[in-house]
Amino acid sequence: MRRKIVLFAVAAVAGSVSVACGGGATSAAGAFDPATCQGGTLTVLNQRDESHLDPARLYTSGGGNIPSLLFRTLTTRTRAGGQEGTKVAPDLATNTGEPSDDAKTWTYHLRDGLKFDDGTPITAQDVKYGIERSFSPELPGGAPYLRDWLVGAADYKGVYAQPEGIAAIETPDEKTIVFRLRKPQGDFPYLATATQFSPVPKARDTGTNYENKPVSSGPYRIERFEKNKELVLARNEHWSRSLDPNRLACPDRVEIHYGLNPAVINQRIASGSGADANAVTTTAQLGPDELARLDSDPELARRVARGNFPYTWYLSYDTTKAPFDNPKVRQAFTYAVNRQAVINAAGGSSLAYPATTFLPEQEAMGFKKYDFYPAGETGDPEKARQLLAEAGYPNGIEVTLAHSTQSGEGDGPEVASAIQDAYKRAGITVKLQGIDASSYSTTIANPATQPQIALSGWGADWPSGGPFLIPVFDGRQILASGGNFNLAHHDDPEVNAEIDEITRITDPKQAAKRWGELDEKLGRKALVVPLFHGKDAALFGKNVKNAFVSDWTGKYDLSALSVK
Amino acid sequence: MSVPVETTTRAGTTEDGPPPARSARVVWRRLLADRPAVFGLAFAGLAVLVALTAPLLSALEGQDPVTFHPELVDSARGGVPLGSFGGVSAEHWLGVEPQTGRDLFARTVHGAQISLAVAVGAAVVQVGLGVALGLAAGLGGRWLDHLLGRVIDLVIAFPSLIFSVALLAVVPDSFPRPLLLMLILGLFGWGGTARIVRAQVLSLRSRDHVAAARLAGARPARVAFREILPGVVAPVLSYAAILLPSNMIAEAGLSFLGVGVRPPTPSWGQMLSKATTWFRGDPVYVLVPAILLFLTVLSFSLLADGLRTALDPRAGGLARRAE
Repeated sequence: MRRKIVLFAVAAVAGSVSVACGGGATSAAGAFDPATCQGGTLTVLNQRDESHLDPARLYTSGGGNIPSLLFRTLTTRTRAGGQEGTKVAPDLATNTGEPSDDAKTWTYHLRDGLKFDDGTPITAQDVKYGIERSFSPELPGGAPYLRDWLVGAADYKGVYAQPEGIAAIETPDEKTIVFRLRKPQGDFPYLATATQFSPVPKARDTGTNYENKPVSSGPYRIERFEKNKELVLARNEHWSRSLDPNRLACPDRVEIHYGLNPAVINQRIASGSGADANAVTTTAQLGPDELARLDSDPELARRVARGNFPYTWYLSYDTTKAPFDNPKVRQAFTYAVNRQAVINAAGGSSLAYPATTFLPEQEAMGFKKYDFYPAGETGDPEKARQLLAEAGYPNGIEVTLAHSTQSGEGDGPEVASAIQDAYKRAGITVKLQGIDASSYSTTIANPATQPQIALSGWGADWPSGGPFLIPVFDGRQILASGGNFNLAHHDDPEVNAEIDEITRITDPKQAAKRWGELDEKLGRKALVVPLFHGKDAALFGKNVKNAFVSDWTGKYDLSALSVK
Repeated sequence: MSVPVETTTRAGTTEDGPPPARSARVVWRRLLADRPAVFGLAFAGLAVLVALTAPLLSALEGQDPVTFHPELVDSARGGVPLGSFGGVSAEHWLGVEPQTGRDLFARTVHGAQISLAVAVGAAVVQVGLGVALGLAAGLGGRWLDHLLGRVIDLVIAFPSLIFSVALLAVVPDSFPRPLLLMLILGLFGWGGTARIVRAQVLSLRSRDHVAAARLAGARPARVAFREILPGVVAPVLSYAAILLPSNMIAEAGLSFLGVGVRPPTPSWGQMLSKATTWFRGDPVYVLVPAILLFLTVLSFSLLADGLRTALDPRAGGLARRAE
């Protein structure tokens, strides 16, 4: 249930590639062969570091990109391009989970022969300990779902205060782990990709210092780590491909440099001199300079990995308060929006595509096309005026639109200016209210300080309709004291009941269809004004191969890249 | 007032009467003889004229600074203007802004308004505070002079840029931005003026004409305003002319750092700031505000230099020789 922070975490850590599927259209010249891809050093040039390299504190989608090189989880994302990459794959476990008791109980069995980086075997107890650790108040930051989902975990204080653990996580033997949930949760296999589901050996737990030298279960171990500066990974001798069908781990070493400016990152990867020929980034999007050059520089164009991390930018308003309690006003605001101008302000059609639905255009998300109040490409101010007049505002209306002061973001001043300009044509006078980026999301998420209209963004914790629609439209998720994401304050018992129905479904395909239908039903009410969905475009170095992009992460997968 | 130049007495060296508020016509004639100063005057005058008539000029072009033209940029290439030289055309004389398609000519002339208004407004605050406190320090008792001297030291030594950034970031958005910039630049920039005024007052205070006025029973206020103040006009005027370009640079710098005026209001500093990422993609976008800012600052500096020479030929002569 995260907002913009989510995107950061995800964009910073996520990635996706695969052997089997090798959507290698964007890969470097020369055939890629997983059998001979080993060797060399992969360089990663990033803006920020992971902030906390503790699996309990990481908030990632699908286990993250850099974290996934160190931590294996019960399940993980399928390392494949496109929609195939939105599927869950077993990682430590032998399958994606066995549901029973109406999807309220989930059972996993660990593979044979799994070992930590010191050679000690990985047990179900280590996984249980890792999960319980993430409940510790000393280790905040991880995905919050388990506290709500597990039976009797709401008040659990973590392994240090309550070493007895959570009774709802059972480990009948060293290879089996069972989760008992309060409600049916068909999406449990998706959640089990989170880094909280990676094993932590109790004997080597050093509490809050664990993030300096976390124990590795993945293909690499930490050789050197300097916060905000550098993370150097070397091979973990106790990991092998035979025990891990997901990660190729071709390079012998991975060197990650932090604290770089995005323009510098793009410039270095584009010119690719020296070690930068083996460089990639998991944080920097293409800038306007590179986008403008792509047409005339086919070599550079070949080295762009394009993807779609599911993310929606929209206008939010409280539908229980005037004037937005009037559906005609809400519809007018949808008709009047100029999505072309908004997309240009957000970086152009290479980085964004128009949104008329809340769900992004992905099969796995359950996307169902609808456009009930069509604004066309550039808006329909006439229709908007007419609706406003019908709603009792024949002389137009004045509103305040809040935006973050962070330039270049989807909720930044550029997008706000574009909306202001389009609404002017429909007789809507928009007053802009810039809010400092550091307090923006907390300001809108608190009903006491929620602005009249706010530029808002929502990203999924996993590629399914549930985490996209539930926090935003479920009436039981309205939080009066802050951390509220149901900005429309929409509470419809019918919608709530439908959400409960869908979360029972364990077949992702079936669930996706129902989420799409629910989204359409919500869209008819014009509870938000969808603006655009984000696209991803990142450069990779001249020598980098197998840089395919999954629709789960929108980025290439570090564990699949080769520099040989 | 038709005294020939050669016989004019120099400010502060007259033996009797108040120091001459130099004949405006003489100063003007000297200024016109100084070619760089004439260029400065002409361009600065043009900039002021453009700023004052900005709405008229953009209306003449048929554009305004805030309307988006999404159809004029190439969305797939990140929003680079379509056409050559940043989308220059008969409708858009300087092309359009990348991403938004807003008219660059209209934004530039409206940007001049903000840049100049902030620079002039801040200079007024700086000179007002500087003269008032400089006079007080020069004419007040020793105790007051010491106190004000330390305050001036503090203001001059203050890390004003860092403080401005911090202050601009916390002041609520509802406070008008240009006014805030004027106040902040003004409040941090009066130290130099105050020092110059104080020094001038100290040297004037012991002149015969001041002593004569005192002996004749003039009240202190009269002495300050009638005998002393005219003597500080010349140095203050030339110093104020230097403050203008430095304020423009400061405004541009703060806008560049993202704490200046808020969008959609255009300002040259803000335009420059946005243009940095477009350096290769759309060079025209960078060049327009950069060249204009450069020329305006240069012309104000040349004008200031010429003004100082015209007001005080001795100082000017020295400067010439040093070149």
